[in-house]
Amino acid sequence: MFILTKIADLVQIAPDDFRKQSHIAIEDNINAKYANKVVQKIGLCICLWDILWTSEGLIGQGDGLVNVNVEFRMVVFRPFKGEAIVARIADQSPEGINLATDFFDDIFIPWTELPEGSEFEPSENLWVWKEEDQVMYFDNNEMVRFKVLSEEWHDQAPSKPVEVVDATEEQPVPTNAKPPYKITGSMSGPGLGCCLWWE
Amino acid sequence: MKILESQNALLSNYEVYQHIIDQRKRHKTQNRRVPSNAHLVMTEVVTYLSEKPSPLEKQEESQSYSPTAIPRLLEKLREANLSGELTKGELLSILNLRPSSSALLSTAIEDMEDRFSEEEQNKMVDMVAEVLGRADTDEGAEGAEGDEMDADAVPSVENGY
Repeated sequence: MFILTKIADLVQIAPDDFRKQSHIAIEDNINAKYANKVVQKIGLCICLWDILWTSEGLIGQGDGLVNVNVEFRMVVFRPFKGEAIVARIADQSPEGINLATDFFDDIFIPWTELPEGSEFEPSENLWVWKEEDQVMYFDNNEMVRFKVLSEEWHDQAPSKPVEVVDATEEQPVPTNAKPPYKITGSMSGPGLGCCLWWE
Repeated sequence: MKILESQNALLSNYEVYQHIIDQRKRHKTQNRRVPSNAHLVMTEVVTYLSEKPSPLEKQEESQSYSPTAIPRLLEKLREANLSGELTKGELLSILNLRPSSSALLSTAIEDMEDRFSEEEQNKMVDMVAEVLGRADTDEGAEGAEGDEMDADAVPSVENGY
């Protein structure tokens, strides 16, 4: 589920961090910059793993920032194709089921990848698996196991500034509809689906 | 920012979990504050990894995963002389999921039915349980040393047997 990525970057340490030891200041700086952020084609960065090499700190002209070139390894969340992962059911719709882990939200299982005989129950907004007289529910907030099929990357361009309109009108906030990193999975297969079914 | 190697190594859930827990301990002793986004994502990852049905749920008490557990599992799998080879990814999945049945083992291994006989599948499940402990009926939990466990300590599961 997690991989290590080697990254080289310039870290700028502000003067009020000089009280910290250098490796601590660098670590905090890197964590502040990368943690919980998605790097395109790499994955969701979690935290620093270790620092491999740093240069000497150079102070630029005009400000007191110490510039350090650092090579380090980062813990990145990026499941590989075919990996089986556990997640929680967040949301359901006729198109499929949305799953989320505590730290990652955009996992989608299209309805074609649910076990054979699954149907959507519009009255309860739930998917149901009917097999041999057994009815099994995909309940919200249930832990399920699914297999990773593919991933999608959407590079987020900065959005245009919203024009100021009359204060009386309700202006919908332009949100980035596409998540930067989206995982598509499958739940049809032995061992997949709600964890309770296979206990 | 330059990405030097997009995949330098694979990490098992246990290693990530241990890394974050160790960091937390160090921060506590140093009285350090971490940036809020790092703190948030690390807390969420640890919460996710300690939730059922993750095998790390009882890691604090039973210590069923340890730095020696991984090489031991590899040793056992090698000794068993299985008819097929397990890829790195499959090994990692087995480590992360700790399958307690052959159905769960099939989620970790591709084409399991074709590559391994039923007997071998059961053997693999037993090996996993032996090295990494089981879910709730953790003989490991009782046998677990209540005091500190160092990396080379005998695995708790053996005490239960």
